[in-house]
Amino acid sequence: MTSGNATGSTSGFRHLETRLTVNLDRASRTANVALILALGASFVLGLYVSFYFHFLTVVLLLTNAVNFYWRHLQVRHTLLANYGFLAQVRYLLESVGPEFRQYLFANDSEERPFSRNERAEVYRKAKGIDSSGAFGTQRDLATGFATLRHSFFPAEASQASSFQVSFGDQRDCPHPYTAGHPVFISAMSYGSLGQKAVRALARGARKAGIPMNTGEGGHPKHHLAEGADLIFQMGTAKFGVRTEDGQLDDERLEALSAHDQVKMVEIKLSQGAKPGKGGLLPKEKISEEIAELRGVPRDRDVVSPAFHPECVDPASTVAFIRRVQEVSGLPVGIKFCLGRDSELRELVQEMRSQDVFPDWITVDGAEGGTGAAPRSFMDGVGLPLFQALPTVQKILTEEGATDRTRILASGKLIDARRQLVAMAMGASATYTARGFMLALGCIQALQCNQNTCPVGITTHDPALQRGLDIEEKSERVARYARALCREQGELLAAMGVRSRPELDLSTVHLPTLNGAGS
Amino acid sequence: MKTLGLWALRILAAAILLPVGYQKLIGDEMSVMLFDTLGMEPHGRIIIGVVEIIAALLLLSPLAATGALLVVAVMLGAIIAHVTVLGVEVGGDGGRLLAMLATVFVSGTTVLVALRHQLPIIGHTLDRTGDERLP
Repeated sequence: MTSGNATGSTSGFRHLETRLTVNLDRASRTANVALILALGASFVLGLYVSFYFHFLTVVLLLTNAVNFYWRHLQVRHTLLANYGFLAQVRYLLESVGPEFRQYLFANDSEERPFSRNERAEVYRKAKGIDSSGAFGTQRDLATGFATLRHSFFPAEASQASSFQVSFGDQRDCPHPYTAGHPVFISAMSYGSLGQKAVRALARGARKAGIPMNTGEGGHPKHHLAEGADLIFQMGTAKFGVRTEDGQLDDERLEALSAHDQVKMVEIKLSQGAKPGKGGLLPKEKISEEIAELRGVPRDRDVVSPAFHPECVDPASTVAFIRRVQEVSGLPVGIKFCLGRDSELRELVQEMRSQDVFPDWITVDGAEGGTGAAPRSFMDGVGLPLFQALPTVQKILTEEGATDRTRILASGKLIDARRQLVAMAMGASATYTARGFMLALGCIQALQCNQNTCPVGITTHDPALQRGLDIEEKSERVARYARALCREQGELLAAMGVRSRPELDLSTVHLPTLNGAGS
Repeated sequence: MKTLGLWALRILAAAILLPVGYQKLIGDEMSVMLFDTLGMEPHGRIIIGVVEIIAALLLLSPLAATGALLVVAVMLGAIIAHVTVLGVEVGGDGGRLLAMLATVFVSGTTVLVALRHQLPIIGHTLDRTGDERLP
C-alpha cells in the first residue's frame, strides 16, 4: 500500500511537471535535429520544385554551420554548447530585459537610484505641471523613511525668511559670496556632460539665480559662457590649474579666480560614489576639446589620483586649504564623503590649531551620483548622507568650529523633503546634480559612462545632442530650482519654522535607531 | 597588416560583385541566360543583383561583417547552382565565371571569419575577446 502510494504520487508528480514546464532539453535537441532535416528538405525542394528554395537552403546552411560551432567547437558559453541555437532565446530576452522591466514591469516606486515616482516629481517641477496627487502616499512610511515634523502652529508662508547663505564672511575673505537660495547645482564636469547640457544648466542657473559647481573638468569654458555664478571644483588631478607634474599652479588658479563669475573654489578630497578613488572619464568620452581643456591624452581613460599630492596628513591638508584661500582670494571649501569619524576630528583639530578653516565643508553621501565609477565603490564604500551629516555636525560643534565654517550636503537631494532633512542635520545649503539632470530630461538610462546617452546629456555625440535645446531645457532647470525653493517654503511654513536656527533635529522624524533614514 | 589584408579582400570582392550585380540588373544577355536555366527569370535575377550590390557596398562600410555574411550566402547559392544545374563551364567561358565565384567566396569567407565578432546579435558568442567589455 505504502510503496504503491509513493510510486503513484511520484509518477503523478512527474506527470504534473512535464505538463506544466517546457522540457527545454528535449525541445532543443529536437530543434537541432530539425535544423539539419530542414536543410535537407530545402535542398531537395530546390532541386526538384524550384531553385527559389535554395534561398532557404543557404540560410539553413549558414545556421547549421553556426549551430555546429556553438555546440561542438566553442567553450565559452555552456548554454550554447549544451542546447545550440535555442539557447540564443535566452540571450535575446536578457538583452531586452532592462527595457522591458523599466517600461512594463517595474512598479512606480522600486527602481534605483530614482524610482519612477521620484523622477516624475522632478519632471513635473521642471515642466511647471501641478504636482498634487490623490488617495494617499505610496511610500511605506513605517520603514526607514525620514519625515518632517509639522507644528500645531504653522507659520504664514510669507513669514519665512529666505534661507540665503554666505561664504567667507566668517573670516576676512576679500571676496565673500552670498547665495540667495539654499539650492546649488552640484559638480558635473564638461566631459562627464556634453557641451549642450553644460550650457543649458549654466543658463538655467543664471535664470534662477543659483550657483553652479563646475566639476573637475579643467578650465570651465562652457560654464563661463552663460554668465552663471560658479564654484570652481579642484579635483585631485587639478585640471585647469595644474602644473606639469600635477601640483597646484598658483598663477593659473589666481588667473581663474580673477574671473568675475568664479565666486568660490571647492577642493574635492573625495566623492560619495567612489571615496578613496579619483575621478574617472572613460576614453569614449574624451573629445579633442576636452583633452585640450584638461591637458590629457585621448587614447586612454583619464583616471585622477586618489588624493591631492599636497594633502598627505591633516597638517598638510589644512596648509593647502590656506594656500588656496590666499591665492584665490575667494571663499574656499572642501568636499568629502565621510569615512572615519576620528580622522575628521583630527582634521578639525588641526584646523583649529593652525587657525585655518575652510569656508564650507561639503558632505557627500555614499549614495551620491557619478558619471563613471567602479560598482564595488558605488555600492560598498563610504557613509550615506543621513548617517554622515549628524556626525560631522557633532564633531564641528564639539570642536567649536560651527562659527568658522558651514556645511553643504549632497547625495540624492532631489526633493524638498530630503533637502530639509539635510538642513535640519546642520547643512546650510544643498547640492544636487542628478536632480538637475532629470530636469534636463534625463530618463535614467544608466549609460553615462558610455557616451551613448539617449537624451544627449552625458554624451559628446552631436547626433545624440541634436534634440537637446539649450533654451528650452534651461527654462526647465530654472523652473525646477524655483519649484524646490517654493516647496521648501511651504514645508517650512507647515513646520512653523521662520528662520534658519529653528530648523534642527527636533523638526525631523528619523525612524531608525541610529538616526538615519532615507 | 591584418587590417590592410582584409581591406584588400573587401575591395577585391566588392570590385567583382558591383559590375556583376549591375549586369544582372540591366538584363545582360549572359545573366538572363543563366537565370533562364535556373528557372528564376526575371525575379530571381533582379533579387540577386540587388543583394550583390548591397553586399558589396556593406563590405566597404563599417558594417563589413554583415556584408561578408551576405556575400557568403549569395555565393553559396551560386555554388549550389553550378553543382546542381549549370556545371563548370557556362556558355563556353572556360570556367571563368566559376573562378570569379570562387575568388569572391574565399575572400568573403575570410572577411566573415576575421570580423565575425562584429556580426549583429550573435557576434559576441563567436569571439574570444569581444564578449564583456570591462568598464
